[in-house]
Amino acid sequence: MATPALARERLLALREAVARIENADGPGLSGRKSRWQWNAPEAAPNDPPATDGLEAIFAAGLPACGLVEIRNAQTRDMGAATGFTLALAALQQEIAGTGATLWISQAMALSEAGMPYAPGLKNYGLDPARLFIARPRTAQDALWIAEAALGISAFSAVILEIRGNPACFGLTESRRLQLRAKAGGTLLLLLRQAGEEEASSAICRLRVEPAPAAARPLPDGSTLAGSLGNPAFLVTPEKSKIADAVGTVLEWNPDDRRFRRTETHPESHPAAQQPQRQPEDTLPLVSLSSHRQSGPGALGTVVALQRTP
Amino acid sequence: MRISRLDREAERIGLRRGHGVTEARAICPSLDILPAEPVADRALLEGLADWCDRYTPLVALDGDDGLYLDITGCAHLHGGERAMLDGLLSSLFALGVEARGAISSSPGLSWAVSHFGEGGVIDADAAETVLAPLPTPALRLPKDTAEMLGRVGLKAIGDLLPLPRAPLARRFGPLLLLRLDQALGLEDEPISPRLPVPVLSAERRLFDPVSSADDILALSAHLAGSLKEGLERRGEGGRLFVLLLFRVDGRVFRIQAATSAPQRDPDRIKLLFRERLAAVHDGLDAGYGFEIVRLCVLTAEPFETVQEGFADGTGDSPSLSAFAERIVARFGPDSLLALTLAESHLPERAARLAPILDRLESERAVDRSGAPAVTATACMDRPLRLFTPPEPVETMAGVPEDAPKSFRWRRSLYRIARTEGPERIAAEWWIDGENQPSRDYFRVEDEAGRRFWLFREGIYGRQPHLPRWFIHGFFA
Repeated sequence: MATPALARERLLALREAVARIENADGPGLSGRKSRWQWNAPEAAPNDPPATDGLEAIFAAGLPACGLVEIRNAQTRDMGAATGFTLALAALQQEIAGTGATLWISQAMALSEAGMPYAPGLKNYGLDPARLFIARPRTAQDALWIAEAALGISAFSAVILEIRGNPACFGLTESRRLQLRAKAGGTLLLLLRQAGEEEASSAICRLRVEPAPAAARPLPDGSTLAGSLGNPAFLVTPEKSKIADAVGTVLEWNPDDRRFRRTETHPESHPAAQQPQRQPEDTLPLVSLSSHRQSGPGALGTVVALQRTP
Repeated sequence: MRISRLDREAERIGLRRGHGVTEARAICPSLDILPAEPVADRALLEGLADWCDRYTPLVALDGDDGLYLDITGCAHLHGGERAMLDGLLSSLFALGVEARGAISSSPGLSWAVSHFGEGGVIDADAAETVLAPLPTPALRLPKDTAEMLGRVGLKAIGDLLPLPRAPLARRFGPLLLLRLDQALGLEDEPISPRLPVPVLSAERRLFDPVSSADDILALSAHLAGSLKEGLERRGEGGRLFVLLLFRVDGRVFRIQAATSAPQRDPDRIKLLFRERLAAVHDGLDAGYGFEIVRLCVLTAEPFETVQEGFADGTGDSPSLSAFAERIVARFGPDSLLALTLAESHLPERAARLAPILDRLESERAVDRSGAPAVTATACMDRPLRLFTPPEPVETMAGVPEDAPKSFRWRRSLYRIARTEGPERIAAEWWIDGENQPSRDYFRVEDEAGRRFWLFREGIYGRQPHLPRWFIHGFFA
């Protein structure tokens, strides 16, 4: 009986060590965290807006500071990933009340996935006058700008767009940015364009994929069939405090600046391919023939040789 | 091939400009001949002009072999005119440049004396006596005028001085009299400095050359501190600063830094140059060190003093403008951009990315004038990201005029599930001309839920070639 207890203690000690490294509250360690807490200003306890959709992804709403990674596997899905990131930035801007958003993007990433477009951002709920674009040439310059921007109180959120998995942005660099973001009290959204899953110090890593948009509502409460209304995203936590790794479909309402969790799944899309369902009772399509040979005979001849005693 | 320039030794053995090379070799077989390099000569002259910046900021190029220095009010800083000229010529000699110079009250007289006379310092009232023995080409006359003067026997300037002016002007044109008056100092002749003259400048001459970036920054902060007083007296702040570093061997580096708002705080200016030095790190070769460091204000604007409240918390949190200055100083003016809206229906013209310093500048201008800013007129759905330029796609549609059923972009096929549109946007004929086709925009969603903005350029049947399809942006 002593072995499990010993193992348990070791496990707890290891957990504590990990928590110390991560400066975060692990399970069952919330009482001790103050000793190891990075000397950061506490998030203002003003009542957060009703982001009922985000509870499925973040444990306690959108974090006020720190590094959140959003990635997708392909450049053609960048519309959804950009949309989700900008929605988080807009939410953060609303929570902070004031403040600008800085979007740092490599020149290469901008030419691959398009430039930010002011009228579209305005419709999306983000004030283009309070968005600034930094266009460094290399990923290293982008990291430098991000680090410099995290100390500026004028920015409520900083978006760092990186294409792929550059070698200069590894675990050490992400840890450094995470600490800076915590110390500066700024939310850093890392938007990884067409990148692989990679270990990092981010609070959480989300994979964002497109989902069919909601239909436009009509005044009588119904919806207009075949129309493209509020955008929706399929958000799958890849690294998260919440162990739920099932994707959630979130719908963004640009007018209210709120997320809404929708129950629609990609399969219910009218044009989506219906999965091949197996019926319960498998009946043959054609009835079996009777009084007939049930099929061609086996090839070759079987010769019965008489056994000689 | 002809001789374009030659040294004093070659002149002594009887060679002249314009001689053929074979002819010259016949006179002196051991002649050393180098091909002329006008571009390199020009670069050397400009380098020398930069070097002469240590004496006066007003340095002008004179043709391809001379410099004008306007030393009004500077001579006493260098021990008087005679000492200044001697010091300049001996420093140039130490750099390996043989030069002749003259100081006088007019550029024309200095030119004449340095090119055809002994050089040196000439008193204002001795102009006529000095000019009289010099030949007429010393008046900077065109070649044919000088030859004409020589043919009628007017070889020296002294021959021209007693002659009546009206017949001279009639025969040789007004230029001769103008040049004569300019040489005598009767007619004013401005020189045009090759670089803009700074509003204010402060410099430090060092006994021991410095080469480390920290020393340069400390010196620039010190110089900014001494500039601050001058700026305060004028009620201005600097918008464009330039740091001049004079290297021991004569090379001069100019490092410019712009600010987002009028600035006179030495610490901010020092931070600005710290980023600039980090950015030009490889381009700045300190060599044996810098002997003179000078900080100039090139552009200054009225400085608005704002009283800061206690509650603003502006004490230690750096502001947006300081951040913008830092980024721009390090990565250049196009590295930090702001989104601006414009009044246009064409999507690519409706928004623009402008450098942030221009934007901060225009915001201040709007604040002062109170003019309303441009707001977006479009309330239609617009994409979050726009491709510039639009990328061509291949489409497949049931009916030609209809929205496509599928399209191929970047080598992959997308089947369209839902479509909204078309939204027709006509071309702006007042800019593009009347033949520019109009566009029909469609919002489409493919089967995976990706939303794109497609458009067809042109209308079927109205033009000889088929309309083309493009993808213009991503929706969220």
